[in-house]
Amino acid sequence: MSEQTDPATESEPLEPEASGESFRERFRLRTVALYTALAALVVFYLIPIQSGLVTSFKTSSAVRETAPFIPPLSADAFTLDKWQFAFDALSDGVINSLLFTIPSTILCAIFGSMAAYGLTLTNWRGQTFIFALFIAGIFIPYQAVIIPLSEFWNVWIDFESRLGLLWGLPLLERRHATILELIVTHTAYGIPIVTVLFRAQYKSMSQEMMEAAKLDGASLWRTYRKIILPLSVPMFAVVFIFQFTQIWNEFLFSLIIIQSVSDPAASVTLILSGLGQALEGVDFPLRMAGAFIAALPTLIVYVLFADKFAEGVRV
Amino acid sequence: MARTELDNVTKVFTEGDGTRIVAVDDLSIDIEDGEFLVLVGPSGCGKSTTLRMIAGLETITSGEIRFDGRVVNDIPAKDRDIAMVFQSYALYPHMTVRENMSFGLEESTDLSDDVIEESVEETAKMMGIGNLLDRKPGELSGGQQQRVALGRAIVREPEVFLMDEPLSNLDAKLRSEMRTELQRLQEQFETTTIYVTHDQTEAMTMGDRIAILDAGELQQVGTPIECYHQPANQFVAGFIGEPSMNFLSVSLENGRFVGDQFEYPISREFESDLGEAAGLTMGIRPEDISLVDTAGEQTLSMVVDVVEPMGDQNVVYLTFSAEDVGPAGSKDTVVATVDGMDSIETGRSVNVHIPEDAIQVFDSSGVAIRNRKLERSPAEMQF
Repeated sequence: MSEQTDPATESEPLEPEASGESFRERFRLRTVALYTALAALVVFYLIPIQSGLVTSFKTSSAVRETAPFIPPLSADAFTLDKWQFAFDALSDGVINSLLFTIPSTILCAIFGSMAAYGLTLTNWRGQTFIFALFIAGIFIPYQAVIIPLSEFWNVWIDFESRLGLLWGLPLLERRHATILELIVTHTAYGIPIVTVLFRAQYKSMSQEMMEAAKLDGASLWRTYRKIILPLSVPMFAVVFIFQFTQIWNEFLFSLIIIQSVSDPAASVTLILSGLGQALEGVDFPLRMAGAFIAALPTLIVYVLFADKFAEGVRV
Repeated sequence: MARTELDNVTKVFTEGDGTRIVAVDDLSIDIEDGEFLVLVGPSGCGKSTTLRMIAGLETITSGEIRFDGRVVNDIPAKDRDIAMVFQSYALYPHMTVRENMSFGLEESTDLSDDVIEESVEETAKMMGIGNLLDRKPGELSGGQQQRVALGRAIVREPEVFLMDEPLSNLDAKLRSEMRTELQRLQEQFETTTIYVTHDQTEAMTMGDRIAILDAGELQQVGTPIECYHQPANQFVAGFIGEPSMNFLSVSLENGRFVGDQFEYPISREFESDLGEAAGLTMGIRPEDISLVDTAGEQTLSMVVDVVEPMGDQNVVYLTFSAEDVGPAGSKDTVVATVDGMDSIETGRSVNVHIPEDAIQVFDSSGVAIRNRKLERSPAEMQF
């Protein structure tokens, strides 16, 4: 190995130990450089998070008097009140957000995968045109649909009055009409991009395998169920993380469809936007605590799907 | 088991810009029940398309395909009772060997799980993969995957086996082993088998009959021996046999073949077979050529260009003059195979004997107008 990498050895064949030594020396230097760079990156990424975290435990006066990344050092400076307050303010929002984010994410993934299967691994007339519509769907800006969307839900559909009977059932409330609207909106808006993600994977699948399934007597649906779906698990993890984060953090649709922070269906992002804002100034510890509570679910999703995600994005 | 008939089968692909490509042109072959037919030809000759039409993976533009007299043109692939082995094996990567093999039976039959399980295990044992049943394809070697692909087809007990270059991803040693094994399996099951390959060795060794295709057209159907000794045309003559047959352009002048750089006298009897044809090509197999000590009537004086020792034989490349030696030599060359124990020096002048009986003659369109003389007819040489 060292003979091949070090041309010096060829002229000094009598001292192989020396070249082995220098090789090891260089290897050690590279390792040191690598880990220094990695450590620097860790600090770079963690400083803002660390500052946010320590700030959330400070009293208002401690925030004014100390640097952002210094933890609260005295008992006077430390408080859990902000976390308590943020939790109380956001808990309903977290539940509302979960109520529409989880179903939308799952529906997006299922429909996107099916659409990609139909558009990629089967053959029918007009396929290209339909796929072009999906592509176009990705590029429709959120801002362009604000008015049609609110018109659509408030005037045309209006789940709240049309499904009036439902809201009397146990566990169901009027606010769930709004949640349902959000589920449908996010699912519809997410399907195009998810379809493209799945399509990229399905295009690389072996055509002969599909034909083998056909000759084995499997119908189109059975082929999807028994072969395509199990092979898409890593891509599902990618889509789950991607769509969950997208929908969880989404603000504009919440603003249009829910409209008010005080609405019982208010999402976590909507409530967070007003949290800690007051005439006397911004309550930084409260905002930081709120931000952490709002970010927690996405972190959990990352941890849960990390293995499969890595498999899905491996090239 | 089914007799398979292809009747004037044509496949035309229409490109996006409207150009029509004829992949298979008016192909008619009758495949007997239990026969092993090899479809062979260079890539793009339409052999795979033909197989895919029989499988039901491609539509048929015109003509008919019949299994036991029943037209299957409009019967979907899954109802044709065929099994196919693909070049890439096309195993389902997420399923174990057991699941791969039972999938077809589960999807296409009403057999109970126990019966399926039993026949999968039996087939796996017979294929020598009984101990691999719970592994996934990714954990198997190429040869083992090949066996699973075969086992998956066999367990279905189809009427017709279709194989699309199933051995081409194996290394040389394994390929010749599997070749023998496939023949043995086919004899055991007596299932009609249609086997596609571009490799003439596979075609020669495996097929009861071989069908040679070129540019979508059938060139010849016959036993390997027939195709070897009595090729219908120049394409078949050049495709079958390794090393390939030598071809020399000649004209017929006063009872002699006259080429660019040589003359070869022929007998009156031979000449009468040729009639009035002009622009002839004379073909001679390398193994019919011998290097002799003394020049004679039917010998050519040539120079040894390259010698490839193969152990049992030497492959000798010959040119007509010393100036043609080397890669730049674009003139006529002749390949001869001689005994491996003969030592032949490069650059030496030799007398090349061409026996008249072994000569094939093709007319200007490549059609054979005289095949070699044989002591026994190829029909007597059946195995």
